Amino acid sequence: MTTSTATAAPTLGDRLRRLLPMLGGVQGYIGLVLIVLIGIWSQGDRFADLDNLTNAIGYFAPRGILAVGMTLVIISGGIDLSVGAVMAVGSTASAMLLTEMNWPVAAIIPASMLIGAAFGFVNGAGTAWLRVQSFVMTLAMMTVARGIVRETSDNVSIGTVVLGPDGEVAPGSAQFQLLGTPGTTLFGIPLVGYFPVLALLVVVVVFQLLLTRTTFGRHVYAVGGNRTAARLSGVRVATVTVVVFTLSGMLAGLAGPINAAYNASADPQAGLGYELDAIAAVVIGGASLAGGRGSVVGTAVGALILTMLDNVLGLNNFSANWQMIIKGAIVVAAVVIQRPDLLAGAVARLRRRDEPPPTDPGPSGPASPPTPAAPRGAAGDVTREVTTKEL
Amino acid sequence: MISATPPPAATDGGDQDDDAAPVLRMRAIGKSFPGVRALDGVSLDAYAGRVVALLGENGAGKSTLINVLSGVFGDYDGQVVVDGEPVALHAPADAQRLGIATIHQELNLVPDMSVADNIWLGRERATGGWLDRRDQVRLAGDLLARVGLDLDPRKPVRQFRVAEQQLIEVAKALSIDTRVLIMDEPTSALADAEVRRLFDVIRALTAEGVAVIYISHRLEELEEIADQVTVLRDGRWIGTRPMDDVDRDELIRMMVGRDLHVPPRAGRATTEAADDGTVAAGPRLVVQDLRVPADPLAGRVALRGVGFAVRPGEVVGLAGLMGAGRTETLEAIFGVYPRHEVSGTVQLDGRPLRARSPRQAIERGVALVAEDRKTQSLVLSATVRFNASLAALRAFARAGWLRRTAERRHVQDQVRRLGVKTPGLSTVVGHLSGGNQQKVVLAKWLLTGPRVILLDEPTRGIDVGAKSEIYELVAALAAEDVAVVVASSELPELLRMSDRIVVLCEGRVTAELDAAATTQEEILTAAMARRALVAP
Ligand SMILES: Nc1ncnc2c1ncn2[C@@H]1O[C@H](COP(=O)(O)OP(=O)(O)OP(=O)(O)O)[C@@H](O)[C@H]1O
Ligand SMILES: [Mg+2]
Repeated sequence: MTTSTATAAPTLGDRLRRLLPMLGGVQGYIGLVLIVLIGIWSQGDRFADLDNLTNAIGYFAPRGILAVGMTLVIISGGIDLSVGAVMAVGSTASAMLLTEMNWPVAAIIPASMLIGAAFGFVNGAGTAWLRVQSFVMTLAMMTVARGIVRETSDNVSIGTVVLGPDGEVAPGSAQFQLLGTPGTTLFGIPLVGYFPVLALLVVVVVFQLLLTRTTFGRHVYAVGGNRTAARLSGVRVATVTVVVFTLSGMLAGLAGPINAAYNASADPQAGLGYELDAIAAVVIGGASLAGGRGSVVGTAVGALILTMLDNVLGLNNFSANWQMIIKGAIVVAAVVIQRPDLLAGAVARLRRRDEPPPTDPGPSGPASPPTPAAPRGAAGDVTREVTTKEL
Repeated sequence: MISATPPPAATDGGDQDDDAAPVLRMRAIGKSFPGVRALDGVSLDAYAGRVVALLGENGAGKSTLINVLSGVFGDYDGQVVVDGEPVALHAPADAQRLGIATIHQELNLVPDMSVADNIWLGRERATGGWLDRRDQVRLAGDLLARVGLDLDPRKPVRQFRVAEQQLIEVAKALSIDTRVLIMDEPTSALADAEVRRLFDVIRALTAEGVAVIYISHRLEELEEIADQVTVLRDGRWIGTRPMDDVDRDELIRMMVGRDLHVPPRAGRATTEAADDGTVAAGPRLVVQDLRVPADPLAGRVALRGVGFAVRPGEVVGLAGLMGAGRTETLEAIFGVYPRHEVSGTVQLDGRPLRARSPRQAIERGVALVAEDRKTQSLVLSATVRFNASLAALRAFARAGWLRRTAERRHVQDQVRRLGVKTPGLSTVVGHLSGGNQQKVVLAKWLLTGPRVILLDEPTRGIDVGAKSEIYELVAALAAEDVAVVVASSELPELLRMSDRIVVLCEGRVTAELDAAATTQEEILTAAMARRALVAP
């Protein structure tokens, strides 16, 4: 048998090729660049202003963090509809710990993450052990979590800016507000020191590594790609599922205090519909709801696209209603861009309609191929980018 | 032409006396995938009432060619002529309209839909939009009877084993008013009796004037059923010969491009080794009175007390008809079924192996190459590397952190050892040819370094050259003192690989035979000891 296998020693080209997929499909960036260009073109300095960008990212960061957890869940073949509500639980819990118990921020954040993780664990347990479909399980959890926040907060939002006896902002509260206050730098790099951005960056890097460089990550892809094969290969399918949902809940818990700090209050209605934005970011990032495909970096690009889109539309004074309409259209467009094979197929179909009917043999003898084949083949090449991403 | 379809078309099968003009003519067919020219200038003719065989190594392009013909790809180079008219095949519907029916290499049934609904899928029998359910079920029953299946068409497909599903696919193809029937390795999961049945169906069809294109790696089948054979190699047309004028050696030479030395049945030193006492000859695997209840929902037959033992370095073959319990035996050992459903004992090296899950079995050094690679073995959307390393991932990790260089090196070694034809380790497994996918599955299990390897139809869809490589591989594993249990529906293959053959029938062992001394007839007799599952 002849074999044509890959060469053993990785060349520089190989290494580059291996690195590239980690950055996600090129198509995603095209969308991002386009939106940024439109922003600069339409609003120029107002858009490319540090304050504006800080604000935009800070506003979106909680959803970005939710989207990272959602990425794991979706790759493993499930969905988590409860993240918005669980984030609200985290927000309110954080605000209560701050205002009523006077906890320091350094304790509030892990506590909120733990609470979120507990909700996520229940989601995972229901999905893995009771075999409730994740859609149903997390839909139920969404209502339950929302009910819990509303009950514990008596349906009122809790302000997180607390004044001390001297009329100044209390030190604990001031510290908490830093979680959502724009404009901080780290090592002189603007934006990065701003907590929502920093948190998002760390989360993205950590979870990207978790997915691509650990056995757990491989197992997540395997469970989503083919449960039976995963099980027969010795993967603990149930455990992986539980861990994935727990991590998603934990990240929702992290997003909670950030969201509260940004808004300077924890609203029991916070995070309504955030799960849909998170799913949109994941899907724009190239994941498949069927499971087995996706990447955290892709999701981050998807989240950035949504952020910039919100911002650009806002700056251009589109009404909230129009923003919704345009956003919906953009989500579909962004997903289609990710799948050039779909486009190529559509183009091929259109072109076929213009061709002479196939019953006409034309001048081409039996041995000569019909002409339109070459461009179609070329279009097929692009599909590889998407499908052969190294995991 | 086919009785099960509505009347109007039934007449045009009559004038099939002119053999001269082919029903189907393919000329200069080409098809490219990224980085692969899968087909290049291939020609193929199919004549009414004749069977043309398509032969070639794994990855030669056979499936690609018939995918072109069945409209799967939508674009290709070259020309297809049906009845002298050039046609364009851009969608499966185009092919169906022309009476080209295809049984694909991988099963394409919707598991949760009933057998009848599957058979009529896309061509539902309806009046004014309302399904004629009773009609569908009745006609489906007729079609199933023609392929020798006696089962309730209202049951979901999920309940049936791979072999039965394969026959359901055949029945489905018969439901189309077929002029050209394409079968891509229809027998890869069938045992001899079922193959006979299928051949009867094919003969009946050709007598009605249907042209058949038949793909198989089993040369003896081609000699029996085919009138003509076309050989492909590396996507190119090598030649077409009348089946009567060509011998196996020539076919193999055409396929492989050189003479292939098929070594005779591997010398099995192990039996003697055990006899002269040099091997500390405690059995590695002992199975006693293994019982599992039937689970019709999962399509599982019952085991009613299976027992056998395997020594290190020994190859035990499991023979039996469809539904005899071969797969169930292997899966029960491997811990696939919930523990409470399994009774009996399995011992590994004298210690009980109570595998509650495949994971525990793997930890004890047991590997199972499962029956259906697509649903049970591979994450089709993932890469070769991902799939090959999945079961042995812990060997390539330190504290959960992957050592990717080590992983790549080991996978690369196995890929080379097994001769997997793939552009690279990052190629998506779903893009490999069927036989090469099977080799990736083998690579996966070899990487776990098993002490006991359970092989369920390991040569399913593998070409002659690669097949003998797998026989050698099994011999090599045995030489390394691995205990091998292999289930296969191909008796010659089983006889060639095994030291001993355990015959199952309806979940019981009906014979235990020395492979060197027994015959196919003896095995078949034992396999049919109770009653024939397949309708006569
Ligand atoms: N969708 C695809 N994308 C990329 N490459 C493909 C695709 N389908 C097939 N190929 C490649 O085309 C070649 C021919 O594959 P094909 O499935 O036709 O082989 P085959 O002759 O049917 O082999 P087997 O006997 O193993 O089934 C292989 O190299 C395969 O990797
Ligand atoms: Mg094939």
